[in-house]
Amino acid sequence: MIRTAKTRERNLNTPLWPANYRTGMWAWTFHRISGLALSGYLIMHIIVISSSTAGSQGVNFDKLLSQLTQPFFLALDLLLWAAVLYHTLNGIRVLLFDAGIGVRNQKVVFWGFMAVAVLAWIAGLVLIFPFIMGRPPVRA
Amino acid sequence: MPQDSAIFKIQRYDPEVDTLPYFTTYNVSLRKGMTVLDGLLDILDQQDGSLAFRASCRGAVCGSDSMYINGAFRLACNTAIVPLLPREITINPLPYMRIVKDLVVDMDPFWTAYERIKPYLINPETAPERERYQSPKDRKHIDEMLDCILCASCYSSCPMVWSDSEFLGPAAFLKAYRFVGDSRDQGQRERIKAVGHENGVWRCHTVFNCTEACPKKINVTWSIEALKRRSIVNRLKFWQR
Repeated sequence: MIRTAKTRERNLNTPLWPANYRTGMWAWTFHRISGLALSGYLIMHIIVISSSTAGSQGVNFDKLLSQLTQPFFLALDLLLWAAVLYHTLNGIRVLLFDAGIGVRNQKVVFWGFMAVAVLAWIAGLVLIFPFIMGRPPVRA
Repeated sequence: MPQDSAIFKIQRYDPEVDTLPYFTTYNVSLRKGMTVLDGLLDILDQQDGSLAFRASCRGAVCGSDSMYINGAFRLACNTAIVPLLPREITINPLPYMRIVKDLVVDMDPFWTAYERIKPYLINPETAPERERYQSPKDRKHIDEMLDCILCASCYSSCPMVWSDSEFLGPAAFLKAYRFVGDSRDQGQRERIKAVGHENGVWRCHTVFNCTEACPKKINVTWSIEALKRRSIVNRLKFWQR
């Protein structure tokens, strides 16, 4: 016996320590986080939209909207887009498992859906980038 | 040059004496082909007679010595030491289960859940003189579930078990499907009833920790998903209620 420490040492040899997570545990953790984020967004969204009834002729709402289309908020929209994509696609993945599809290849299914998510996110980035840079494309 | 000794870092806890668990470190000299269980037995034999752990068959059949070793659920008897080196070998008891002493955990909740799914043949028909016949194809269908040795690795790995003491846990579901999918069994309805509720399969969040934890490489989640579908079909058959 080398030593006996009677103190509570930091125990990282536990399945709750992220280094010990496997694919499914990460998928589930991010599903929870993105779910909470989307719920928070939804509440904000309802507050913002319902503010259109305040003030006369929607003047305040116009002001608010012009604030929310500033580059900073447009960049935040990209975060929202990422959360929506992740939550949707991982949700479909879990539904497929419930339907008996792909349970034995869950990691492949996960990374397949993540590839779709990345492509869709990049598409969103390409669409919103001119607006962030303050150069909205001219419409014919 | 191969290492001739390994460091074992083992979580110790005696609820009657200690207020908190702590780690004790042992230096184990290696022999060829040694498993973690061999190391534990050496420690018990030569260094510290107070170390408590469960083990019986040494051949990955009894499921007594499942532990949390270096970030994974493993059977100590089925885990060679050499591939784990040069890291020290950190051993914890099955996580989130009540510790009786050191690596020995209270398995009562696990067995209670197992009992709830009626893990025995239900078939009111009189048994034929020789055997209840089952075709090789039907037998193959439950092959995977029969491999389970009830080591509780999956049970201890499941986040739903950690958070809900009423949840039956993956092993019980796997064994439930072992009978539900068995062509000789007729207790499907009662078993589906025993698992098809809020604290049954529907608490499962498809985290796949059970499948990752299984030392027998059983896809536990597959059985749980199959039970979910059976449960729905059973609910839809209103004329049978």
